[in-house]
Amino acid sequence: MKKLLVLLGIIVLCLLAVGYFGSVTPVENIAGMEDEVPGDGIVVGFSQLGAESDWRTANTESMKSTFSEEKGYEFLFDDAQQKQENQIKAIRNFILQEVDYIVLAPVTETGWDTVLQEAKDAGIPVIIVDRMVDVADNRLFTAWVGSDFELEGKKACEWLHAYTKLKSIPAENIHIVNIQGTIGASAQIGRTASLRRAAKDYGWDLLAEESGEYTQAKAREVMGSFLKQYDNINVVYCENDNEAFGAIEAIENAGKRVGKDIESGEIMIMSFDSTNAGLTDVLEGKIALNIECNPLHGPRVQSIIETLETGGTPDKQAYVEEDMFATDTSVTSITVNGFNYPVTKLTEAVLKERTY
Amino acid sequence: MQTKKANKLTVSELFGKLLSQQIFIPIAALLLLAIFNLIADPSFYKITYGINSAGAPVLSGYLMTILDYGSELAILAVGMTLVTAASGGQDISVGATIAIAGSVILRVLCGTNSRPDTLQAPIIVAFLVACVVAMIFGAFNGVLVAYFKIQPMVATLILFTAGRSIAAWINNNELPIISDPVFSYFGGFIPGIPIPTPFFIAAAVVAVAALALKFTNLGLYTQAVGINESSSRLNGLNPAFIKFLSFVILGLCVAVAALIKVSRLSSINYSVIAKDIEMDAILAVALGGNALSGGKFNLTASIMGAYVIQFLTTTLYKFNVQSDALPAYKAVVVIFLVVISSSVVRDYLRNIGSKISKKGVA
Amino acid sequence: MQKKRKTLTDANLLLTITIVVFFLMYIGAILFQGKGFLKPQTFFNILNANAALLILSCGMSVVMITGGIDISVGGVTALVSMCCAVYLDYHNGNVLGAVAIALAIGLAFGIVQGFLVAYLDIQPFIVSLAGMFFARGMTTIVNTNPFNVANEEFVALKNVRIIIPGMGSLNKLGKYVNAYVEIGVIIAILVVIILFCVLKWTRLGRFFYAVGGNSQSALMLGINVKRTKFLSHLLCSLLAGIGGFVYFMHVGSGAASHAMGAEMNAIASSIIGGTMLTGGVGNIIGTFFGVLSLSTIQNIVSSAGLDQAWWTGITIAAMLCLFLVIQSVVMARKKK
Repeated sequence: MKKLLVLLGIIVLCLLAVGYFGSVTPVENIAGMEDEVPGDGIVVGFSQLGAESDWRTANTESMKSTFSEEKGYEFLFDDAQQKQENQIKAIRNFILQEVDYIVLAPVTETGWDTVLQEAKDAGIPVIIVDRMVDVADNRLFTAWVGSDFELEGKKACEWLHAYTKLKSIPAENIHIVNIQGTIGASAQIGRTASLRRAAKDYGWDLLAEESGEYTQAKAREVMGSFLKQYDNINVVYCENDNEAFGAIEAIENAGKRVGKDIESGEIMIMSFDSTNAGLTDVLEGKIALNIECNPLHGPRVQSIIETLETGGTPDKQAYVEEDMFATDTSVTSITVNGFNYPVTKLTEAVLKERTY
Repeated sequence: MQTKKANKLTVSELFGKLLSQQIFIPIAALLLLAIFNLIADPSFYKITYGINSAGAPVLSGYLMTILDYGSELAILAVGMTLVTAASGGQDISVGATIAIAGSVILRVLCGTNSRPDTLQAPIIVAFLVACVVAMIFGAFNGVLVAYFKIQPMVATLILFTAGRSIAAWINNNELPIISDPVFSYFGGFIPGIPIPTPFFIAAAVVAVAALALKFTNLGLYTQAVGINESSSRLNGLNPAFIKFLSFVILGLCVAVAALIKVSRLSSINYSVIAKDIEMDAILAVALGGNALSGGKFNLTASIMGAYVIQFLTTTLYKFNVQSDALPAYKAVVVIFLVVISSSVVRDYLRNIGSKISKKGVA
Repeated sequence: MQKKRKTLTDANLLLTITIVVFFLMYIGAILFQGKGFLKPQTFFNILNANAALLILSCGMSVVMITGGIDISVGGVTALVSMCCAVYLDYHNGNVLGAVAIALAIGLAFGIVQGFLVAYLDIQPFIVSLAGMFFARGMTTIVNTNPFNVANEEFVALKNVRIIIPGMGSLNKLGKYVNAYVEIGVIIAILVVIILFCVLKWTRLGRFFYAVGGNSQSALMLGINVKRTKFLSHLLCSLLAGIGGFVYFMHVGSGAASHAMGAEMNAIASSIIGGTMLTGGVGNIIGTFFGVLSLSTIQNIVSSAGLDQAWWTGITIAAMLCLFLVIQSVVMARKKK
């Protein structure tokens, strides 16, 4: 027993010694060695918030394929499974591993100041994708790549306005329920805000709002309870495709029909993201309008990194381009903030061409 | 003589006898819930006949929801009861193995493409493969419990941790979607039949289990092993094998439940599918009045227990309790039930009862 | 005498295996992924992130040594975080009040669960299952949506860093960064030391082992078995309350999904650390290394850039399986 303790003691001491000397003196040597090996490539650490939806998977896939080894990158990926603590842990790990760039798809907006400061102190540029971060000092991150969620919401509302006007359905006869995304996510905030404003401006009847947490199961449950509470729902505003699937299921289970003809008792589904499965439902007429939320952030992030590598200063905010798809062709384009956005009529061919 | 004696039973004795019956607990709970709903809102019992989007006639209403969604739980309760009886422990990996079995079904149906236009294999083949896989995982648990003598809860903790990862790995972390309408029949409605299919599947599983228990010695042996392992060994049984077998049977139940689960969605979400179902399944067994330490069991009571839980869940939903807050209410019910059925409390009540009757006599 | 010595070695064998495996793993990580793991801060980060788990696992070990189980600890952690967060942000609370809330929640769970298990003789698994359900449900009832706490006093406390002299390292810019741990780690280490002493040198500690080993003979020896069981559950839940606060200090937010599965991680850590679910065998030092092994594996998996978070589950399960089989073999040998 005593021998054992002695042995353990020795191991502990060895380890501490390795850690100590490893930390203080030889690090420079190691760093020096690193510099001599040029083929190592640019190391990019990506902290993804989870894999909750098809959109997220496409987003991850875009990053992975952009920062591949063939293109001279070393890509470290961490899936935080919806926990901010995991993301903070991952970023700290990236800092300790001395990656060249950190890409962060944050799960919530707040609570990033400390860890981003650490990254800044270590001289590692942080690029935020998708959702925004809310930090006291905007210099803590280098750039942000993502979608203009408020604009997405506005597009959807404008389309609904144009469509119902075309069909001459009075505004007070439009009864909307909103299945929100995860509360606090940028997409939820933007899309909800646009709907609320439009409902107020146009006089729509916004019956209820509840979070479906971006998942099919939760949305089905929420929609089920909405249907039991209100019998006059004719528009469902789903803040992502997975929620739309859940809502469609709940509506069909309740013996009602989904579709664009709200005058004939159908319930109209509006959705965001335009994933492959979501667009398939548009093609089948189940989802009336699907606003694209482009997940292919990889190339944008790569161009920012390239700018930084050559010593340039990238734009602080980079929006990705986004389309909108409808079952119906009666509304061909809408205008938001003075810009004209075309509504794409979805066909098999359009669907086949898409990569996600 | 006997009939005379039976006639002479006083009301209190009858009540006492009823109390001692195992099936009393779930029935009492069910009655309680039923009466509560009747008073609170009789529309709970309304069943409407309608046409769903596929154009098939369906019955809908809260009672149908209970029959529908209670089915997976009832199926699992069958296997869980056997495992509990034989091993004196519970399998906490059923939710994770449902994810595995569900993933296998989708994998076989989809082949390498996650969005197939046509099924790559007949559904029955996919189901059978899933059965085999689930039974292998059941066997893995069984070996650890029966031959390595690891406590069931701990042994199944392994698959509980790894199961969902394995499930995701089987499909390369993709989320396949089956578009074939036939596949959705298992978790929905078969055209022309207005009662949800899961109920029929559950009924079939229960029937098979009941027949197996009636015509084989499985039930007897299981109880013997659960009550006293060494004496059953002395009587020529092989306790290890019986335990092993109970886990394999649970594996089969898991595969059936998985078929229903993935059919409901025509897809899968590895981290959410059948989440916490293991807790509900164990609860069903406990509600059925079965001793969680093993031994005697009553399958009917467990199945009743499963539907009681679904009844409770649906009732709570009806009163707009959020799904995340649901467990708190369930917990209160569970504690209430286990407290009144605990031997200490029962003895105490019996003592009080006899004291009162003695006083009455004096 | 001879026999006693042999059994001692068996229990210690489990502990030794755990410790050796941990060091091998860490050295392996240094060899293969040198860069990050060479820095002591990586190790301290593991401690920072898992201080709460360490406290929960200690409590779990005590209950397991006494022959019970408590799967409510994760739920209690979430409930404590949420209650403290709501108290601090919506009711302008102070940190001391939050600590009191955490302890009160832990105590309440401990008293109820302990009473049900020890005096009403209900299975600990069912009691704590209900406890878990209740805690998780209550968390959402208290507040549905997750939020970060903005209370200044608390945020200041959360950001306190205890510098470990001489263990710092140079960062990418060549600047020297001090190594640090959070307050939670200090609390966790204190808990480990106190519990180690309690289990090793006090009557109560020996009672825990005796009741877990064989409650019948413990009763014969004049030990108050019920009281001992009650105390073990009380201790575990109280530690869950403390662990909950430490967790809260680490994440600084309240959310219903907090500490999801923490109970299973705590059980796994205890088992890896050589505690047996059958009771009577276990060691807090083992638990300490159990937690370290578990979290190091997670760290290795994510540092290796193994792209699926799923790998964590699989590696932990594999490790758990390995340890369980070793335990089982050791026990079988002991019986012979």
